[in-house]
Amino acid sequence: MRYEGEHLLIGQIGHFFAILSFVASLVATLAYFKSAQVKIESESLSWKKMARTAFILEVFSVLAIFATLYLIIYNHYFEYKYAHQHSNRSLDMKYLLSCFWEGQEGSFMLWSFWHCVLGLFVIRSAREWEAPVMAMISLAQVFLATYIAGIYFFDVKLGTSPFVLMRNEFPDAPVFGDPQYLFKYITDGNGLNKLLQNYWMVIHPPVLFLGFASCLIPFSFAVAGLWKKDYSGWVKPALPWALFSGGILGLGIMMGAAWAYESLTFGGYWAWDPVENASMVPWLVMVAGIHTMLISKHTGHSLKASFFFIPLSFLLVLYSTFLTRTGVLGDTSVHSFTGEGNSLYWHLIVMMLAFAGIPLVLYFKNNKAIPFIKKEESMSSREFWMFVGSLLFFISSLYIIVLTSLPFINKLLGTKWALGADTEYVYNRVMVLVAAVIGLLTAVTQYLKYKDTPRKYWMGKIMWPTLIALVASLLTGFFGNISYDKYGAGYLAAIHFALFAGIYTVLANGAYIFSVLKGNMKAAGASISHVGFGLMLAGILISSSKKELLSLNQTGIAVPGLKDVKGKDENPLENVTLIHAVPTPMGKYTVTYEGDSTVDKDERVYFKLRFEQRDTSANEVKEVFYVYPNAFLIKGDGGTQLSSNPGSRHYVARDVFVYITSWLNPENIKDTSTFRSNWVKKGDTVFYSNGFITVNNIITANKNDNKDLPVVDSVWLSELTVHAKDGRQFTAQPSYFIKNNQASVKVDTVMAQNLVFRIDKVQGGRIDLGIKESDAVMRYITLKAYQFPWINVLWLGTIVMVAGFLLSMYRRVKANIASRSNSL
Amino acid sequence: MKKIHIIMLVAIAAAIAVLFTMMQDLTTYDSIESARSKQGKFVHVIAKLDKTKPVEYDPIKDPNHLVFYAVDSLGGQAKVVYRNSKPQEFEHSERIVLKGKMQGDVFECKEILLKCPSKYKDDPNQQLKKLDESGATTAAEEKKY
Repeated sequence: MRYEGEHLLIGQIGHFFAILSFVASLVATLAYFKSAQVKIESESLSWKKMARTAFILEVFSVLAIFATLYLIIYNHYFEYKYAHQHSNRSLDMKYLLSCFWEGQEGSFMLWSFWHCVLGLFVIRSAREWEAPVMAMISLAQVFLATYIAGIYFFDVKLGTSPFVLMRNEFPDAPVFGDPQYLFKYITDGNGLNKLLQNYWMVIHPPVLFLGFASCLIPFSFAVAGLWKKDYSGWVKPALPWALFSGGILGLGIMMGAAWAYESLTFGGYWAWDPVENASMVPWLVMVAGIHTMLISKHTGHSLKASFFFIPLSFLLVLYSTFLTRTGVLGDTSVHSFTGEGNSLYWHLIVMMLAFAGIPLVLYFKNNKAIPFIKKEESMSSREFWMFVGSLLFFISSLYIIVLTSLPFINKLLGTKWALGADTEYVYNRVMVLVAAVIGLLTAVTQYLKYKDTPRKYWMGKIMWPTLIALVASLLTGFFGNISYDKYGAGYLAAIHFALFAGIYTVLANGAYIFSVLKGNMKAAGASISHVGFGLMLAGILISSSKKELLSLNQTGIAVPGLKDVKGKDENPLENVTLIHAVPTPMGKYTVTYEGDSTVDKDERVYFKLRFEQRDTSANEVKEVFYVYPNAFLIKGDGGTQLSSNPGSRHYVARDVFVYITSWLNPENIKDTSTFRSNWVKKGDTVFYSNGFITVNNIITANKNDNKDLPVVDSVWLSELTVHAKDGRQFTAQPSYFIKNNQASVKVDTVMAQNLVFRIDKVQGGRIDLGIKESDAVMRYITLKAYQFPWINVLWLGTIVMVAGFLLSMYRRVKANIASRSNSL
Repeated sequence: MKKIHIIMLVAIAAAIAVLFTMMQDLTTYDSIESARSKQGKFVHVIAKLDKTKPVEYDPIKDPNHLVFYAVDSLGGQAKVVYRNSKPQEFEHSERIVLKGKMQGDVFECKEILLKCPSKYKDDPNQQLKKLDESGATTAAEEKKY
């Protein structure tokens, strides 16, 4: 059969380049291997030339694969499975790149692309290290190329090609019986996951993958050091690469956190989700490795530890890919990547074994020759405490990865373990102490010198930062009113300890720049990074422990005689329902759902919420702002459902976040009825069109005679029973509060009878009961609202930390170039 | 023994101690039936939304009260109460992970994880199903004319 309207050539070109990239990287690997092995210089040089040509061909192929796939997505060639699965015609141009990272194949392509870019820099700068380092990079490229090759190797299918056609993948689907299937049936794609249609999702994956890819370079240097038996020589050229990794991977992880904060409905930036953990663990080990490399560069100690941490970091990158991409995490993650089935599972295991085997074999072959210093480090030396810090980084990474791997461990052992009731606390209670101790270590260790430090010098330098930090953290803890007691006094003490550590880190490392480095910013990379870390720690602690739920359902007011049916202290209810145009109190704000709207060509509904804060003493409006949360409408088997995007209001010192948790589609709703006023007292009866309402009780209470009124000054609560004609009975409890001379009303409803009640006025034991018989279903939204204070400290800290890493890297590159030109 | 070795030993001992206390916090994956026999114990249950029974959620009455029925692959059934808003795309879910405890005959759920077909776009079976549907509906529309 000849199908009409297909564009087959472009896919064939793409597939050709996919195969070419595999072959070229294989040739590059072998040629670099030979170049590194042969002793004769001229022969080595000619192998190197060949290898370079092959690698550049590989770079060209990867770019060509990108270009062809981009054209396929851009031109909406839905005969290709990749375009059909990950894009559609209405997709905004700016999200076209996100289509790449939604799919498995595209992520591998991105990873491979960054290896290419980094490889070119290695070729330019690595000199005598080029051949062995590039051999490892090319080997990684061989593996990555197989993931998108989609070729049969004997009977085993290697990878999945992004250029497969729909009709070849689903040959049994009846639509392919029609040669005009592209015009009749497959006219549009499935589109991009709504959560990925966010600007963070355009920039976060490339940065994160650059971070992942960069872990390969220090790994390759470590292997090259073992291979070429230059056991300590690799540290110097590898150090800038490791610093680059630390900076970029850290940035990528925190961009993911920013995405979670801005676009997801976690209610926060970090949830200890397996996907987050898996990206963080290689970073922790990389940072441990950076510190042991620094120790061995300056003192010769900790070389063996570097040979352990640096390769482990890249292996953990592979392992995290394995955890998140093969589906072994199964049901534990809100990110759900499906597995590519068994083929990817074994594919990644083989790659992990290869990249674990090479350094292990080389290490144990050379174990005896690797130099180490017998004399032990002095307690007053910088290297001793730096090593302790590295060890702490490593142990914390172990803790995280073991817990994250539970589903995989279950799979291996046949067990059924799962993390308990409060996953975040399981991580937080350990990590808060780890972070605090690391903070303290950075503060005191900066003032130590390598090898040995005179006691008097150290005490003199560190005294003032310590005292100031102590005072500052006590003031912050006291006036900042940090009293997070959900997990008891022990955890609160840990938070205060960590807060001190964070502030101490900032002050001590900041002071170091001026008192020791004399303001020489170029040399201050490490200190700047540490300051950033301290800011992050402080930002995390303050924003999390003082995170405030604005949409707390405040019905749990203890008044004697009225049974509270809803609120329970230990489990605050987080959602509040707003009825259209009815102002509802929420924290210190009064919030009104003013309306919603849709925009052409946009699948979203935008909600307009008015936040008003009144100055209670002067009784005037202090602040009014609008927040516009929105939600995608997703049609499916169970009717139209929501996929929510939060709306936010940013301030320097805090952010207010709102997202919709439920919405009644208000099509065809015309509600013209109004509230009818009825002055009633206890025991009265009021009629309505479908029955009558009895006022069972009216309770009034105020602060003077009831000490259990924590939230308001005085309150009128009513208990109503609605008796419908058909004999059914319903209850309702509208109420009226006064706080700081401000009246607010809690509306109650009986949906089954379309009744809305509110108390409009009060006079002694009598209330003006407003009754509205709605002739239509009510318009309402349900939402959650949070306030995060001082979250900007965390983001600022991130930027400072990354800047510190990159500054250190820049200085070491400069120093390496200078020392090379000196030695020539 | 070197000081660094002592520190390493202390660190490893601390790590083991922490992991050991952790073990007590660990819970298990259970079926609805085995959860029922472990009354009041926090467990994870993998189940499905029973679409033959109604989902009760009236945000105007109480936005923090969701009641539905769950069935698991072994045929166990339970009423589930979740004191929070109805998760997004709840009715689209293929599979749900319920974290909570059984109280009498009711599963008091603290957290729900959903597996939705929209997230499972890479699953070939879902793809095929969708393709068949698009073919069938378009064919049906053609017949009308």
